[in-house]
Amino acid sequence: MSDNDLAENRRLYVLSGLALAAMAVASWFIFVYAPQDALQGPVQRIFYLHVSSAIAAFACFAVVVGGSVAYLWRESAAGDRLGRAAAHTGLVFTTVCFLMGVIWAKPIWNWNPLDTWDARLTSTAALWVIYSAYLLVRRFAPSGRIAARLAAVVGIIGFVDIPVVYFSVEWWRTLHPGPTLTSLSGPQMPAPMVWAFLVTQAAVFFLAYVLVRIRYRLEQRKDEREAREVAAQLLPAREAR
Amino acid sequence: MRFWNAVAAVTLKDLRTELRGRELLPALAQFIVLALVISNFAFDMTPGITVHLSPGVLWLVLTFAGLVAFGRTFAAEKESGSLEAMLLTPAGPSAVFAGKALAAAVFLACCEAVLLPALAVVLGSPIDAQVVASVLLATVGMAALGSLFAALAAQTRARELLLPVLALPLWIPFVVVGGRAVQAAMAGQPIGGQGLFHQPLAVLLDFDILFLVVASLAARFVLED
Amino acid sequence: MKAVSARGLVQRFGATVALGPLDLELDGGERLAVLGGNGAGKTTLLRLLATAARPAAGRLELWGLDAVRHRERLRTRIGYLGHQLGLYPALSAAENLQFFATLYGLGRTEAAEALELAGLAAVATRRAGELSRGQLQRLGLARAVVHRPELLVLDEPDASLDAEGRALLARIAEGRTLVLATHDLVLARRICGRALLLRGGRAAGDPWRFRILEAEG
Repeated sequence: MSDNDLAENRRLYVLSGLALAAMAVASWFIFVYAPQDALQGPVQRIFYLHVSSAIAAFACFAVVVGGSVAYLWRESAAGDRLGRAAAHTGLVFTTVCFLMGVIWAKPIWNWNPLDTWDARLTSTAALWVIYSAYLLVRRFAPSGRIAARLAAVVGIIGFVDIPVVYFSVEWWRTLHPGPTLTSLSGPQMPAPMVWAFLVTQAAVFFLAYVLVRIRYRLEQRKDEREAREVAAQLLPAREAR
Repeated sequence: MRFWNAVAAVTLKDLRTELRGRELLPALAQFIVLALVISNFAFDMTPGITVHLSPGVLWLVLTFAGLVAFGRTFAAEKESGSLEAMLLTPAGPSAVFAGKALAAAVFLACCEAVLLPALAVVLGSPIDAQVVASVLLATVGMAALGSLFAALAAQTRARELLLPVLALPLWIPFVVVGGRAVQAAMAGQPIGGQGLFHQPLAVLLDFDILFLVVASLAARFVLED
Repeated sequence: MKAVSARGLVQRFGATVALGPLDLELDGGERLAVLGGNGAGKTTLLRLLATAARPAAGRLELWGLDAVRHRERLRTRIGYLGHQLGLYPALSAAENLQFFATLYGLGRTEAAEALELAGLAAVATRRAGELSRGQLQRLGLARAVVHRPELLVLDEPDASLDAEGRALLARIAEGRTLVLATHDLVLARRICGRALLLRGGRAAGDPWRFRILEAEG
């Protein structure tokens, strides 16, 4: 392992520690700083992680699109690695968002998500399936290059689905709450709640960044190993000549 | 001009092959009728609930028939090597893709020609022009996406597995909006009203255009190394 | 100008190198037999020459044009027949050729001529699925030359060729640059002027000129 590798590993340890600390701060904001919701009680505190992980997931999938475009356009290996890393991380956050949502919805609306698939849930589920497929395609495609190309197509087209997410909320007008933070008349939440949310969002974004970076590093090492294997197969011929 | 000649040649070739071999469509027609009969028993249909359930049955059957139809078109060509032979002509991947997608759309429309009357007979659902229009509009976009992912899945080792996983989530908008349109039409809701009905058709058309453009842009990356 | 000029050509699938590095030059009209066992890289090389696949590394030029950048233009000048014949069993022999002629922007005359050349005019209206194995193989060859390519790339076309088919093979090779992958040394000697032996994806022995012809005359 080169010095560079060691330095990068050290950086990743430090970043992971910082991400943990950030999440600890966020939990203080969520559980101590933010006031109790008058109507929903303590369960409303799920909101902070539920919404911020949803936004982080969307951000990750946007990064997948960026990486996919870079790959299709320039055959950028880094773009492909970034896509792989961000897809993994995005799936983690989508899953977190789902779990939080189910726990939250149960006592509030006595809502069983399986028989009231509302639009945003359905579309987010669709995103989850699409980006799982993004990773599945790689596993089943014949070679590295074709795999990357096919996955990039899935990554981009899957993202086209996201506007449809918001659109379908409008279309079905379901029981899912509309935007709470950004309505035209200004935030409807009390200021401490807004602060708690912003802090959580910042912490989750940072966590996502660190996770993507770790995953990217892993993928990079995999690619490097493959390149070494290929180089080893090519070398003897050159020597023989 | 040359592009459209190639598209027409590919489409006609697919239609002619199906007409001669008669492999896909008879099987699909049987599948559709059986699915309807099964749903009739599975849901314990009574006249009161038919109106609510039959739009759902329609889209469910159509979706799965579509998966079978699209899956076959590219898989067979990939295996026989004719897909590669076509791609090595100067016609280009976009023309080949457009031709195959067009043929797939025709196959799906044939399925609908069986499905809609069968729905009227088996479940007694009212079928009118609006139902037909929304189903046909959805067919265009579904065929574009379905063919793209069928082409993609055909390049992999697990095409039967990947095609539904890829196509179904992206078909959701068509099922949601088309389902709404069919529901409104079958329930005899006012067509003008709050714009409930005219809107879905326009939206379906938008989706068609969006996904036609996206699929034809992506076809090159899916088909060509 | 060389018809084919490859430098350091490499193809890999994932971490496995299937071909190369390989250098290869062919003059126009030269006929090369590609020999070697299964998995030696014959098909991989031929697919690269036919622009059906892109090399992972190295450079391939056909008539001085880069085979990746100019592949659309080059494809009208290359005929390729792979392991699979790429024919439609439900279509007749004539319809199969007409279909591919249309994709090349050609008409019925070219399709009919290719059919004539392959000696299949008598079974023109018969469905490809009903033809014998040898006839099918000849139809595949006719498909590969329907657009009169200058470079012909054939991957083991002799698998089930009858005597008539072998004569056809020699006929269509006439006046063309040919790359022929085969296990059949007799056929290779009869048709080709040069041979390249592949082993483990590399040129075995002298990678430049491996002659097997001279003696036979």
